[in-house]
Amino acid sequence: MKKKLLLVDDEVEICEFLKSFFEDRDYQVATAHSGVQAVEQVESFRPDVVLLDIQMPEMDGLSALREIKEKYPRVKVIMVTAVETQDRIEAAMRLGADNYITKPLSLEYLEKDVQEKIESLAGI
Amino acid sequence: MMFFHLRNPKTVLRKILVGLILFFIGAMAAYLVSLSLPHVVGNPWGAHPLTPILTMTLIFLVAYKPVERCVKVFLEKNIFRKKSYAQWTLMELAEELRTNLDFQELSNLIVNTFGEALHLKTVALLIRDVTRDGFEIASAFGWPLATSRRIFLGNDSPLVRCIHRMGPHVLVRGPLLKSLSWQEANEMARDFDLVRSCWVLPLFSKGDLIAMIAFGAHSPDTVFDEWDFHFFRKFGESVAPCVANSRYVQGLRRANFELQDSQAEWFQKTKMSAIEKLAAGIAHEVHNPLAIISGKAQVLLMQKKRTPLEPHVEEALNVIVKQTRRAADITRKLLMYSQDSRAPQEEISFEKILDETIALVGYQASLDKIEIIKKTDPSLPTFWGNTQEIREIFLNLFLNAVEAIGDQGGRIQVEVRISEGEDVIEIRFQNSGKEIPQEDLDRIFNPFFTTRHEAVGLGLFVTRQIVKRYGGAIRVESQSGEGSLFIIQLPRTTAEGETPRASAEKPKEGTILVNKGA
Repeated sequence: MKKKLLLVDDEVEICEFLKSFFEDRDYQVATAHSGVQAVEQVESFRPDVVLLDIQMPEMDGLSALREIKEKYPRVKVIMVTAVETQDRIEAAMRLGADNYITKPLSLEYLEKDVQEKIESLAGI
Repeated sequence: MMFFHLRNPKTVLRKILVGLILFFIGAMAAYLVSLSLPHVVGNPWGAHPLTPILTMTLIFLVAYKPVERCVKVFLEKNIFRKKSYAQWTLMELAEELRTNLDFQELSNLIVNTFGEALHLKTVALLIRDVTRDGFEIASAFGWPLATSRRIFLGNDSPLVRCIHRMGPHVLVRGPLLKSLSWQEANEMARDFDLVRSCWVLPLFSKGDLIAMIAFGAHSPDTVFDEWDFHFFRKFGESVAPCVANSRYVQGLRRANFELQDSQAEWFQKTKMSAIEKLAAGIAHEVHNPLAIISGKAQVLLMQKKRTPLEPHVEEALNVIVKQTRRAADITRKLLMYSQDSRAPQEEISFEKILDETIALVGYQASLDKIEIIKKTDPSLPTFWGNTQEIREIFLNLFLNAVEAIGDQGGRIQVEVRISEGEDVIEIRFQNSGKEIPQEDLDRIFNPFFTTRHEAVGLGLFVTRQIVKRYGGAIRVESQSGEGSLFIIQLPRTTAEGETPRASAEKPKEGTILVNKGA
C-alpha cells in the first residue's frame, strides 16, 4: 500500500513542489489550501501524515490540528510554519502535533521526518 | 590613672589649670581658716593643733565637688570659650545649611560639626521613616561601622512618646530616667542605649517629628546647662526645615530617576514590540516565497540522479538554497530577540556547544588562517539553559571575531570558566582582530549597529538580549593592537526550577518541546 500524505498550505506553489517531490518518492499525495479543506480531506483521503501550515485563511492550522487530532488521533501531523514564535509552537505541541518545521524547508530533513512518522505508525 | 599623652594639649592644660586654681583656693581657705579660727572657736579647742586640720577636712569634703565644678564652668566659659565658640560654630552651620539641598552632605555636616564643636563621643542624625515605625541613620559619628542603618523606634516606643509629649525640647537621659518609675525608666534607658546617647534633640517640621539628633559625651563630666539646652532647641528649630527640605529634594530626585528608568524601559518595550510585529509580518511574507524558491531548487537538486545537471547549474542551485536560508535567518534573528524566551530548558554542555560552533565556523576560519584556541574548565557546574540560545551567543561572537580579524590571519581564544565564588560562569572571548574604536564601545550592542556594509548589525544585539534573559551581563574591552575581549557572565543555575530568568518564563511543559527541526 502506498504511503499517504496530505499537504495543507494556502500557497499553491508550496503544495505543488512538495507534491511533485513526494510523488517522486512514491507517496500518494493530496493537497488542501485551507483548514476546512484539510479536515474534509483527512476524512475522505485518510492520510498517514499531514503537513499542516499554521497561518491560513478560513480555519487556521491550529484549529484544523485540534479537529484532526480529536477525530483521528492516529494521524501524524507535522506543523509547518513561516514564523516560529514560541507560543505558537507550544500551542501546537499541546494540541498534539507530532513535530514542527520552519520555512524555508529542508526537503531532505522533511522527507526523513515524514518517513520516521510513517514507520512509527507501522510499528504500532 | 591618666594617660595624658593620649589627650589633646588643651585638655591637659585645662586639667592643670583646674588643679592650680583648686590648690590656690584650698590654700587661701586654709589660710583664712587658720586666721579666723581662734576668733570663732573659743579655748580650749581654738588653740588645739588638730582643730584647723579637722575644719579644713570638713570644708574639703563638703565644698570640693561644687567648687571644682564652678571652677571648671568658669574656665570653660571665660578662658576656653568652648561653649561660646561651639555656639558660634553651630550658628554658622545653621546659616550655611539654609542653602544646602544635598541631603547626605547636609547630614554629614550637622553630625560632624556637632561632634567636633561639642567634643562629643557619639552623634547621629536619625531620620524618621515614612512608615513611621523607625528611624534611619542619615549620618553618624562615633558609631560602630557595622551598625544597621535602621533603628526600630516606633510611635509607641517610650522615647518617641516622650518626644511627642515634650515637644522640641532636648531630652536629657539622667534627669528623665529619675523622673520615671522603675519599669518605665528601664524601657526608656533601652531606647537611649539604642541611639547611643545621653541627649536627644528632636527636630520638628510643621509640627511633625521628622528627625532627631542623638548625642552622647565621653565622660559624665560634660555638662550642659539650661542656656545650652535653650540654644540646642533654637539650633534644632533652624536646622529642621533644612533637613526636611533636603529630604524632600532627595525624594524628588529619586522619583525622577525612577521615572526616567521606567520611561526608558517603556520605550524599549514599545520599540521591541513594534520590531516584533514588523519581524513577524516580514517573516510570514518573506518565508513563504523563500520556501518556494528554496523548495524548487532542492527538488531540482534531488532529481539530479534522473536528470543530470550541468555542474554550474548545480552550484547555482546550491547557492540558491544556501542564500534563502540566510535571508530567512535575518528575520528569525529579529524575532528571536523580540520574543520572550520560553525556550525549553536543558542541561547545557558548554564544551559540546563550543565544539559544534567551532565546527560551523571552522572552515571559514581556516580559510582566513585564524587559529581557534578553546579552553573549558572541566569542573564547570551544571548549567540549565537553552542550547539554541547559548549556541547563538557563541556563533555571534565567532562571526564577529572572524569579521574583526579579516583575512589577515589571527587568533580567537575562548575560555569558559567559573568565577566569583563559584556562582558565575564566565565566558571570555578574545580575538586578535581590529580594535573597536572607543566611541563605538557603547554602541556595538545596539540594534542595527554595524561597521560593515553587508551586515545587518543584529548579532551582538541578539547576544546581549540572550545574556540578559539569563540574568547575566556582557561587556567588551578593546585596546589598540590587542584586539578585543568580550566577557560574558552568566549566573550559575543549580536546578531546572532555579533558572535566573527575569520572570515566569519557565516552560510549563518544557520537556515536550523538543525542536527536532533544528
